Amino acid sequence: MTRLIHTELLKLITMRLTYGLLGIAAALTSLFSLLENSRAGTSGTGVSPISTADGLRTVTTVTGFAMLLAAVLGSIVANGEFRHSTATQTYLATPRRARVLASKAIAAISVGSLFGLVAGIISTGVGLIFVAAHGDHLALSAGTLIGHIAGAVVGAALLAALGVAVGSLVRSQLATVIGIFVWAIVIESVIGGLYTSIRPYLPYTAATTLAGARLGGAAFGPAHGLNGGSPLPFAAAAALIAAIGVGTALIASRTTLRRDIT
Amino acid sequence: MAVIEVGGLTKRFAGLTAVDHVTFTVERGRVVGFLGPNGAGKTTTLRMLLGLVTPTSGTATINGRCYADLVDPLHVVGAALESSLAYPGRSARNHLRIAALVGGAAPGRVDEVLEVVDLTGAADRRVGQFSLGMRQRLALATALVCDPEILVLDEPANGLDPEGVHWLRTLLRRLAGEGRTVLVSSHILAEVAQTVDSVVILDRGRLVTESTLADLTAGGTHVVRVRTPRAADLADLLTGQGADATVVATDRVEITGATSEQIGTVAAEHAIPIFETTTEAADLEDVFLRLTASAERTEVTP
Repeated sequence: MTRLIHTELLKLITMRLTYGLLGIAAALTSLFSLLENSRAGTSGTGVSPISTADGLRTVTTVTGFAMLLAAVLGSIVANGEFRHSTATQTYLATPRRARVLASKAIAAISVGSLFGLVAGIISTGVGLIFVAAHGDHLALSAGTLIGHIAGAVVGAALLAALGVAVGSLVRSQLATVIGIFVWAIVIESVIGGLYTSIRPYLPYTAATTLAGARLGGAAFGPAHGLNGGSPLPFAAAAALIAAIGVGTALIASRTTLRRDIT
Repeated sequence: MAVIEVGGLTKRFAGLTAVDHVTFTVERGRVVGFLGPNGAGKTTTLRMLLGLVTPTSGTATINGRCYADLVDPLHVVGAALESSLAYPGRSARNHLRIAALVGGAAPGRVDEVLEVVDLTGAADRRVGQFSLGMRQRLALATALVCDPEILVLDEPANGLDPEGVHWLRTLLRRLAGEGRTVLVSSHILAEVAQTVDSVVILDRGRLVTESTLADLTAGGTHVVRVRTPRAADLADLLTGQGADATVVATDRVEITGATSEQIGTVAAEHAIPIFETTTEAADLEDVFLRLTASAERTEVTP
């Protein structure tokens, strides 16, 4: 199994897409951090000044996009094998397909956590630069900020693993990538906006709350400003995402994974 | 001892029977040509053998086990199934490093197999830039990386230029010389005829024949040409015995359905002088075409 995980990691690091997605994640995190920092404290934006704990928390937890890109990478790790017919070689080496899925998930967790780490550091770093530039005092403790970065690492890692499960279930790469964004940006915003009680249980929203984001902070449109409900405790949110991933992987291993490789 | 055993193997895809009760074996150390026209079911059969496609019914085993039950499968069977099985963004070397790592091959194997398939110079180029022929070589290198005793190659000559086909023949002979068992598919008999010990011929999903090359030609139509001053008499005598004899010139007869020994004996019994006999063996390609074509006719006739 160790050999298999090493192989999946070697596949990831010899794929240019990994670096491309990590670069996009870093660029988007920088961009959104800068936007949030410039908006903070301006009336009508709903973002409190960064001198306040709430404002600083908002601007230093802009890690959702990196988590989504980690999920995208996870899905491509799984169904990219079908796009380029490399699944043949993979399953020749490891005919037990569930073992391939498991090692892909573990490899995706390792690389996904890097996405969370990079995004967490950028987002916190940009926030701290703005705080220093304003000459404000730090409204959150160093421990809290580090906790948010750690949360981003866990959130991105879990979403990357969930991405592997989804990519194992749906072989179309395009459909999965579009599906991930539509789910996170549209569907979770709509469901979360309509039923705030369900909101903490939505996987992408839960992942962002792991990283310290306000419940609903990751939503788009009217649902973004909608308050109500509290996020799940850290362990519960992490367990929820893991459970959704395991459930999806189990369905995949009983359906798509068994299909013929032609 | 049979290392590959295929028994009653059948695969139906949405109403279409791609492989229909195919049974054959491959003995250890043999080089077997797996032949048939395009669409005969060769690839599907090989994919079932390798655990990639689940059979509708029947069995396919390697060393008595299903592929999925093999311990370290890459060390037992090396397969080159299609030329496009490498991620285009990866270098040939990285592609082979992955195969070597997952199979647990010795670290030096990557360079060795690159050398074997003549790709050392292109090792660090991205596979996406490779020609079809280079991809075929890379697929062969991938199959060889864990030094397996059995090789399963699906149309390895596809996309190779005549020089490449010659190179492939030499490589296959070398691999066979090392005592490996090789099952190599092709839709062109000539590509493998010089290399294989025996053939398994498939057409429209059904097994047409499983035989050695010698038996295959023996089963074909031999033509015996005889030069004799009493051509008409000899032709009449042989026709009377069930052979097919045609007088092509006043002193020449062409006979099918009788061996030169039988013809000589008949001629001696009737004191017919024979000046010359030549036997023309059946052309392999003709036999192949006839076998696959007759299967086609059987299919069409209700």
